[in-house]
Amino acid sequence: MLSPNERIVFILLVVVCGILSFQGFNRIFKTVKAGGNADRSDNLIGRFSTALVDVLLQKPISRARPIVGLFHSFIFYAFSFYLLVNVNDVLEAYVDGWTTLGSDNILANLFNLFADIFSVLVLVGMVFFLYRRFVQKPKVMEFNANVKLHPGVSAGGLKKDSFIVGIFILVHVGSRWLGTAIHLANNGNTDKWLPTASIMSGLFSDWSPAALETGIHVTWWLAIGLIVLFIPYFPRTKHIHLMVAPVNLTLGRKTHRGAMDGVSNPASPGARTLSDLPWPQVLDSWACIMCTRCHEVCPAHESGTSLSPSAMEINKRYFINEQGNALFNGGGNASLLDYAISDDAVWSCTTCYACVQVCPVGNEPMMDILELRRNQVFDAKMPDELADVLRSLDEQGNSFNESARRRSRWSRTLDFKLKDATKEPVKYLWYVGDFASFNQICQDTTRKVAEVLMVAGVDFGIMGKKEKSAGNDVRRVGEEGLFEVLAEQNIESIESCEFEEIFTTDPHTFNTLRNEYPEKGGNFPVKHYSTLLLELIKNGDIKLNKKLDIKATYHDPCYLGRYNGIYDDPREVMKLCGVDLVEMPRNKENSFCCGAGGGQIWLPDHDDMVQRPSENRIEEAVSVGVNHFTVACPKDMTMYSDAAKTSGNEDNMAVNDIVDFVLEAMDLPERTMDKTVSSDAEEAVSPETLTEELNS
Amino acid sequence: MAKIIVLLKQVPDLVEDLEVDASGKALDRSDIKFKLNEFDDHALEEAILLKESGSADEVVAMAVDGDDVDKMLFTALAKGADRAVKLTGGNPVDSHQMGKAFSNALGSEGYDLVFTGVQSVDDRDGQLGPIVASYMNKPCVSVVSGVFVSGGTAVVHKEYSAGIMGEFEVDLPAVLGIQAAKQSPRYAPVSKIRQVQRTASLGESGMGDLGPGGGSSVANMAPPEKGAGAEMLDNVEDLMDVLKDKGAL
Amino acid sequence: MGDVFVITEHLKGEFQDITFEMLGKAKEMATASDGQCVAVAFGSMNEKAGELGAADSVISIGGNDDYNPESYAAAVQSLVSAKSPSLILVGSTSMGMDIANTVATALDMPNISYCSDISAGSGGFSYTSSMYGGKMNTVTNVDSPAVAMVLAGAFNADAGRMTGSPTVEDFSADFGAGKVRFKRLIEPEDADVDITQSDILVAVGRGIGSKDDIELAEELAEVLDADLACSRPLVDAGWMPKARQVGKSGLKVKPKVYIALGISGAPEHIEGMKSSSTIIAINTDKNAPIFDVAHYGMTKDLFDVVEELVEELE
Repeated sequence: MLSPNERIVFILLVVVCGILSFQGFNRIFKTVKAGGNADRSDNLIGRFSTALVDVLLQKPISRARPIVGLFHSFIFYAFSFYLLVNVNDVLEAYVDGWTTLGSDNILANLFNLFADIFSVLVLVGMVFFLYRRFVQKPKVMEFNANVKLHPGVSAGGLKKDSFIVGIFILVHVGSRWLGTAIHLANNGNTDKWLPTASIMSGLFSDWSPAALETGIHVTWWLAIGLIVLFIPYFPRTKHIHLMVAPVNLTLGRKTHRGAMDGVSNPASPGARTLSDLPWPQVLDSWACIMCTRCHEVCPAHESGTSLSPSAMEINKRYFINEQGNALFNGGGNASLLDYAISDDAVWSCTTCYACVQVCPVGNEPMMDILELRRNQVFDAKMPDELADVLRSLDEQGNSFNESARRRSRWSRTLDFKLKDATKEPVKYLWYVGDFASFNQICQDTTRKVAEVLMVAGVDFGIMGKKEKSAGNDVRRVGEEGLFEVLAEQNIESIESCEFEEIFTTDPHTFNTLRNEYPEKGGNFPVKHYSTLLLELIKNGDIKLNKKLDIKATYHDPCYLGRYNGIYDDPREVMKLCGVDLVEMPRNKENSFCCGAGGGQIWLPDHDDMVQRPSENRIEEAVSVGVNHFTVACPKDMTMYSDAAKTSGNEDNMAVNDIVDFVLEAMDLPERTMDKTVSSDAEEAVSPETLTEELNS
Repeated sequence: MAKIIVLLKQVPDLVEDLEVDASGKALDRSDIKFKLNEFDDHALEEAILLKESGSADEVVAMAVDGDDVDKMLFTALAKGADRAVKLTGGNPVDSHQMGKAFSNALGSEGYDLVFTGVQSVDDRDGQLGPIVASYMNKPCVSVVSGVFVSGGTAVVHKEYSAGIMGEFEVDLPAVLGIQAAKQSPRYAPVSKIRQVQRTASLGESGMGDLGPGGGSSVANMAPPEKGAGAEMLDNVEDLMDVLKDKGAL
Repeated sequence: MGDVFVITEHLKGEFQDITFEMLGKAKEMATASDGQCVAVAFGSMNEKAGELGAADSVISIGGNDDYNPESYAAAVQSLVSAKSPSLILVGSTSMGMDIANTVATALDMPNISYCSDISAGSGGFSYTSSMYGGKMNTVTNVDSPAVAMVLAGAFNADAGRMTGSPTVEDFSADFGAGKVRFKRLIEPEDADVDITQSDILVAVGRGIGSKDDIELAEELAEVLDADLACSRPLVDAGWMPKARQVGKSGLKVKPKVYIALGISGAPEHIEGMKSSSTIIAINTDKNAPIFDVAHYGMTKDLFDVVEELVEELE
């Protein structure tokens, strides 16, 4: 269909754009290659097929923003099909007589039908997206005022990019669609396989043949020429996610999400510059579609701090564009803290994993933050309060600056003695954890767990002063060396005990014991106490004699749920106790972090914080009409007990641990607890106090 | 530019409950832990700050051998000391013997300044800084919280009470007992300490003749008599009664 | 046995309380050992010998009015060398530390630090020292001449505050090599509040945890119409100004009510507040030394207590 001159021009265009594109893609390849080592070569076929299925079914993007996801799927399926369409159009241009119009071939007609419908879906989708960004301007697309932004971003780069690509797609697809309409007008008929194009062809019914012919050429050039022109632009824009996202998903991390990577270079751990990051995290910069889903679910950003994982990835990308080839020619040595993310933001992360979980293209912004922390901590650059806590962990083995000998003091007010697992064999080794041992609010729960297990006849013991903090959060604030020391010492203590299984009341402890200690030489079977309670209820060791008549909601702890996939055990325990479980909107893998992880519980509230994440969550519970907020983690217990007060919900929202329900449902006969005379004895626990709590 | 030697020692960690041993004269060592004397930590910090600001060009950490002393010295290296020296071949029992050990070693080491913590929780027979200075016949100022070095002298701020300080000029070489560094002692990341342990090594030196010591010994050690002690209150209501009673409300 | 020397301490022309505290005890010890109680005064402090009436005699040792670690220590050393007293009392203070250690080491005499009590025995003296942050007392018996560093506030100043006319003797001392030279006194910045004049003080210690949490203590101070004070670690960390520091190198306070929040009770801090009429301490550690000097105590979490207290009072 194209004239000989046109054909030559097009070939030239393809060659020039091809060379430019190659440079762009080559830069991506070299920059990624300059990143740190990572091995993602295992099971490439399996990785590829999983990623292919995920992409074809649009699974990653459907984790959040369902309506947006729907419109995106229009565009995704349409554009995927448009590969065929573009091939067809090029054939039409170069092969005389090639056309799919007016054919008897069923394939050709189906092709036309899909092309027709998909064209309209893309146009509708693009209009929706442009409307969303430029008219509706949803708040989630904005960054907190204190978030560090690359100058290009502050100058409106995101809007500009979206506008350019939006217009490009509207023109590319719109022209093709109109072009089809003009073809039909030219042929003087409509086609039932091209319903919308047929309707549009009416617009051109009174055009002269010469005008129609020009129209055909113009729409062809606008459609196909534009896309050729656009390909070199892709590497500079987020729309390269078309190509990079599937690669990013294929080469994604397959190791357990609860196991941090080891330190590759102990003499200089972590990352300071872009190329210090492992290469998959460099690739993240190109996969990022700048959609802000990550900071929408980020407790730090939601509460007003300067951390936006989205801004970090975007800033990396803008830096890369600005640096160009310098990045792999010895330049690009600026610190990430200069352009990508502020120091303050690095220390605001709670390591809840929500940003990684929700990312539709498989990015891991949290991992960048962890590497930055490692690098900073190596030079002792961290908030002062954190240094004090790390000193306490190093010297005393706990974050409370208490003597290790006081670790099992919580058990003194029990009226039975706990077995010392370091001195006699036990079936279950109970790894209590720092907070459950030392924090006064959590100690009540710890005692209840002991009581429940005692009544159920479970053979368990604790390590007492031999138990040190397991180190999960120490590792996540970047002190790898201290984590190693704690792990070594804890593994030695555990190995000196005789036991069948370990259980723990702390999800953070659970995570590191199960997923990270094996690599340090400690391979032990570990379960969370919710799993143990469920087992004991099901096998009858725990007899539930009373059904509780309360409505409650359950908060999934980050390190139990999102990190380790345990959502059902605590829920089943609650239901077996007769609790009517009402879910909050953000539940299971979408649970909203209490704000304590990543060392935050050791740090003061950020100056810019407008509302604590835990208060936000309590309000969510209030909104579903319950008076009981259930937790299965000592840090959650601390954070939410406090948040219930500070958010003004102290009188209408009780914070309970799942063991509270179990103990109440066991309906034990009145037992007198040993009240010691010692002045620091905690109030003894009895079913009466529990009932008081539950009825408040 | 000055060479500063910092004398470090371990003391019992007061976080632990302390008990007297069977002899009735000393601490029961079975359950106590040791840590770096906090004032020695300040002394090290001040020395490193002077090096970072260009007033000193070498900081040497020195300690008498004992449990966990290796880790203490590697920690000093991780914080920024250039060298660490461990004194071996003896077991000083008090400040005087420890002072003798250090002064024996310092004699051969050479220095412009010697820093050590102003005091420690166990220095019953006297404070290390002035003792070492006396053995080496060098000037000494203790309770210092600010050192400024230029040329062959140091200007130091000595703390008196009520926030008042005295400024002195001291000819080097001299010994200073440090009360507080210009900023809190920095944290030494365990990651870095372990790295230093892999790559650096500790120097060793003999401690020589320790002399007779301070000349006095403990006849008896016991926790202080509690006396009536505080009247313990159980709740805020009782506390408010007390406040009302004493005229605070 | 022999004489008991008291090395007086002065600042800005006034004898410090520690001088009178030592004099009272020295007089008692001198009587018990059949010796004289001799006060040693520096520079022009000899003109105030009349204030040292508790002593039998005063030695005017000369030297500068401004304290100098080197010259004062050298002077005392030459004096002790010449006079050979049985017991030399020096303050366990900034000024005392240089003198006591230098003299004792040079003259090969025992030095007993942190003395909270001294008693006369048959051949010598028995010294009680407060060690390990106040958690342990040691008793040291010495029959030969010794230097003892006396803790501020261990003895009663009233017992040593007597006017009189002790004989004044001049002594020509050796003042050392001149390698340490006094330049000037540095006064603290003007404080917005003089906590030594406050009726009620709310004092925070390390137990407060973080700088932000000091706000809670401020709220309490406000509802009680009290002033905020603190222990040394908070000043070192930069969380509170030096003018609010209570303790050995800070200020000595005697309010009607002193509420100590999260303060363990290290001797240096106790020195600064033990004269308060009523001391209330809140600390989760039931073994904290502060409870030995406090009149009332609670081993609850200070945040819970303060929060509740503020709520009740508002």
